[in-house]
Amino acid sequence: MAYRRAINLLPRVKECVFSMLMPPRSLKFISGPVRFHELLNSRCWGTTRTLHTGSRLMVAKLLSHDELFVKRSLQDYLKKMETEYSECLNVVNSSGTEEEQGCSEEEMRAKRTKVSQLAPLIQSIKELDTKQKEIAETETLLKDEDPALRELAELEREGCVQDIQDLRQKILDLLIPEEDEADLSDLVLEVTAGVGGQEAMLFTAELFDMYHGFAQHHGWSFDILEHMTSELGGLRHASASISGPQSYKTMKFEGGVHRVQRVPKTEKQGRMHTSTMTVAVLPQPTEISFTINPKDLRIDTMRASGAGGQHVNTTDSAVRIVHLPTGTVAECQQERSQMKNKDKAMKALRAKLYSKKLEEVTSKRYNQRKVQIGNKGRSEKIRTYNFAQDRITDHRIGMTVHDVKGFLLGEDLLDEINSSLQEFSDQETLLELLGENEEGS
Amino acid sequence: MYTLCSKKHDECLLRETMWRRSLRAGYSCFGCRSVGPKVIWGFHAVRACSAPAFPAGRITALQAVDIWKRHFEEKGVTEPDHSSQYIIAHLLGAKTIEILEQKKLTEFLSQEKIEQMWRLCTRRLSRMPVQYVIEEWDFRDLTLKMRPPVFIPRPETEELVELVLTDLQMKHVNGDAQHTCLEVGCGSGAISLSLLYSLPQLSATALDQSQDAVDLTRENALRLGLQDRLQIHHIDVMKDAETVMNLCSPVSVLVSNPPYLFSEDMASLEPDILRFEDHTALDGGKDGLKVIKQILMLAPQILSNYGRVYLEVDPRHPPLIQRWVEANVEELHYVETRHDITSRPRFCILQKKEVKQGP
Repeated sequence: MAYRRAINLLPRVKECVFSMLMPPRSLKFISGPVRFHELLNSRCWGTTRTLHTGSRLMVAKLLSHDELFVKRSLQDYLKKMETEYSECLNVVNSSGTEEEQGCSEEEMRAKRTKVSQLAPLIQSIKELDTKQKEIAETETLLKDEDPALRELAELEREGCVQDIQDLRQKILDLLIPEEDEADLSDLVLEVTAGVGGQEAMLFTAELFDMYHGFAQHHGWSFDILEHMTSELGGLRHASASISGPQSYKTMKFEGGVHRVQRVPKTEKQGRMHTSTMTVAVLPQPTEISFTINPKDLRIDTMRASGAGGQHVNTTDSAVRIVHLPTGTVAECQQERSQMKNKDKAMKALRAKLYSKKLEEVTSKRYNQRKVQIGNKGRSEKIRTYNFAQDRITDHRIGMTVHDVKGFLLGEDLLDEINSSLQEFSDQETLLELLGENEEGS
Repeated sequence: MYTLCSKKHDECLLRETMWRRSLRAGYSCFGCRSVGPKVIWGFHAVRACSAPAFPAGRITALQAVDIWKRHFEEKGVTEPDHSSQYIIAHLLGAKTIEILEQKKLTEFLSQEKIEQMWRLCTRRLSRMPVQYVIEEWDFRDLTLKMRPPVFIPRPETEELVELVLTDLQMKHVNGDAQHTCLEVGCGSGAISLSLLYSLPQLSATALDQSQDAVDLTRENALRLGLQDRLQIHHIDVMKDAETVMNLCSPVSVLVSNPPYLFSEDMASLEPDILRFEDHTALDGGKDGLKVIKQILMLAPQILSNYGRVYLEVDPRHPPLIQRWVEANVEELHYVETRHDITSRPRFCILQKKEVKQGP
């Protein structure tokens, strides 16, 4: 009880500290995204950034394209890209005279690559400029006396606005860096019951089924690796290997603590409980990119004691593998064939070891982000499922959708939240990029 | 089979076995305390192996599992929890209980399913192995039909197949594509069918001294659509060595999981094995080497040059086999002993030496 209260108090403490530390001006930005831009553009951005993104208080807003393009940092960044492009282009075009310019073969190659990389972006920027000029011209026609001409101008303007929207989207897409290596991989999903006993385990089972549904909805394969049930039909812990196009890229936003608020089936007095479970999303490495020394493994099976072989007929084909140097354990009893259980346990173990390794590398890089991805050690509450109010709220982006039952099917509603997270994450990447650009200038 | 079981009812052993240990305690108690209808126990408790009373009201799958688990436990049936879980999973159309959705397990069972559960579990109560009760089991990637008294493949044999596959795939890379294989004592067909399934270039011949085994292998081959590349013969290698040699042209692989138990160990086998599985598939004679020696004697005549023998054996056998071959079969070279995943010396690999090329 005391523990739960302490948790509840935590954000409030944060709030106090936050308001004391922040200059009054930046407090205002909580009220709306516009202030956020100002802050972003102001010089103090670089120094206060950690505080902003690290705090749960800040209600994240998805900026519209208009809002983004109004930002000076974005305009500056685009200009910088244009300058870089024309400089590179100049050098490349005057090739043959490399020695005069003091460019080595390698530098030339780098510049050529840069030119081809930037070309689509520059092209879109130019198109955008043209469209914007066009729209300015139609503005004058809109004030024309001839009603027919005005109507025509109106039509043309609408077309332009649409084109501008599309071009802006295209430019933003081009600015966001290419996917990580991990984004292209398959994944292992782990669910573990948290605070709340049997109720937490029941909820864990429901979410595991939801992800099963989500995988089917997307046409991914869903292969259960571990499955530890509780007495009342809940789940203590389970894992599944999911594979299919974009599977990791999509599922990575599900990692974190999920909270359920409802009157549990087990509750006799009709009181509302709050329970939690944790989801971890681990990229599944390929055989080639990650190897394990067989000598580091200990394999436990039912047949380890006694004579084995023809002496024994057992149906217990469970396999447990321990990675001795790290103490990491994976087990499987999904299959009737012991060898298949061994293969699956091995798959789970590989994913666990790989994610540990990956976490070391990426934790520094992603620490500052609000929309974090599937790190196992993550303890932040990311989403609440409130049954009484029939709503699901994602705390990272402050988004709420209704119909818990429909959401738990793992279909369109989960998709909806997921694409918002994706968009927001892309925006964060973009802002990060612009922020870095600003700091550098 | 049924009359045999009922005769043995009274023999239900109460002896605890070492195989009761479970890797995980999670399944030890499925709850049927809170909601389940009352099950009247012990009506027939006087009879040693009678089934628990048929439930009066509706019960869920989990409750059925729990009733039978406890009953198996009481009657000294080995692996009580796994037995009742596999049977219910089978009835609900899944291979293991872990795969089933929670919803299915907490739903009430239909009357028909309850009857089926009681019928199958009563068979298990007679100590019939679960694999025979549900009439199928998995071996590597295949689901095979199982029928008494044909030997039920053990997990170690999955590794024997792995050994052969790794070797053959390596040779395949080296351009030696066309392989043939002979299996002595095919039982349900597990080894030959797994090899054929994984190697589309391979053709195989399988032998067994038991007509039941030959029939079951044929049935499994048909079910898996592998019958075109598999020849099956009812032959006893101990009695009919001549025919075996005439039957197949030189093969590159001779594989076998022969009977390798020492005769004196037969008595200590669980009733599950002793009562239901074919003894000739288990009993390898005084030193467990009776059939192994016969296979190794024949091997040089059956194998092509550098062809290999792969055997699953008792952990005490490898040094004995090596010594015996060195003394008795000049044309064979003992290549190596391999261990199973529990680190027991379990597999012997031998190779035919090159025969001098003509006069």
